[in-house]
Amino acid sequence: MSGPDLFPVRYLERGMHSGYFYMLAGLLSFSMLGIFHKVADVTKCRPSAINALIYAWSLLFSILTVTMIQRAPLTAPPSVFWIGIPFGVSASIAILAFQAGIRHGDIATSWLAINLSSGIPTVASILIYGEPLTSRKIIALLLIPVSMGLLWIDKRRADRAAITEPVAAAKETQ
Amino acid sequence: MKRDASVWLRLMLVAFVANGLGPFGLRILSASGLSTFQPQYLLYWYLGGAVFGVLALSKRPLRLATREIVLGAAMGLCSLCGQTFTGLALSHGVPGHVAFPLTTGGSLFLVATAGIILFNERVGGYGAAGIALGIAALIMLSV
Repeated sequence: MSGPDLFPVRYLERGMHSGYFYMLAGLLSFSMLGIFHKVADVTKCRPSAINALIYAWSLLFSILTVTMIQRAPLTAPPSVFWIGIPFGVSASIAILAFQAGIRHGDIATSWLAINLSSGIPTVASILIYGEPLTSRKIIALLLIPVSMGLLWIDKRRADRAAITEPVAAAKETQ
Repeated sequence: MKRDASVWLRLMLVAFVANGLGPFGLRILSASGLSTFQPQYLLYWYLGGAVFGVLALSKRPLRLATREIVLGAAMGLCSLCGQTFTGLALSHGVPGHVAFPLTTGGSLFLVATAGIILFNERVGGYGAAGIALGIAALIMLSV
């Protein structure tokens, strides 16, 4: 049975299903990005080359998306340009530091460290735009430095073990 | 190359602050009433990143390896697809309090698992606790 009132419900359900498909695709895309960072490190790619190429390719892909899919103009008010450029530079510095950093650490912990940075826009929004500071946000923001501290302790212990384990093994063989 | 925990921490702190500032431009764009120019903003955002990237690279030999070009393209595509698909999920009715924790927390879990299984990384007790607390913090921030 199909009535005119059922169509929007069916449409909404279908939209919702494709929404969850898109969410899964987004999750896999972000995960593959993290794994490729590690692959770049393992295959000894230079961090500066990887950083420049990620942004150069992304720029090309976004030009294609804006012009061919969204069919929107490439131009915008100057203020859009002046907001976009410095924040893009900031993100590029982040990728360069991250790619150089995983030479000294694991992707399992480093990926978390860079993702925890979402606490910074939250703090900035609270300080600059007066967004409400809820108890949940306070707990989350307090957990971020605790988590970073634990990751660093784990890293330091692993590095010490990497030095002491071969020495202990050598002593045992003697 | 010798792995150094203090170098790792310093570089991760730079990445942490710089990466945190990166998306704040969207908040400024929205507060300035310029949200309709989000695609163009993203384009300028990538342009800024590319200009800095090329300047940083120009201090070293400019010859690019094939693997760097291929991986750069794959990572650029993943970055764009991640943002586009998350945006599409939101516009197709998935609530933000479901989409953001799942994409962020899920990606952290998958990458950590890949690190341990595919790349034989060892995560100790402190690391596992740090990952668990970090995922909890990110989920709390995004719901």
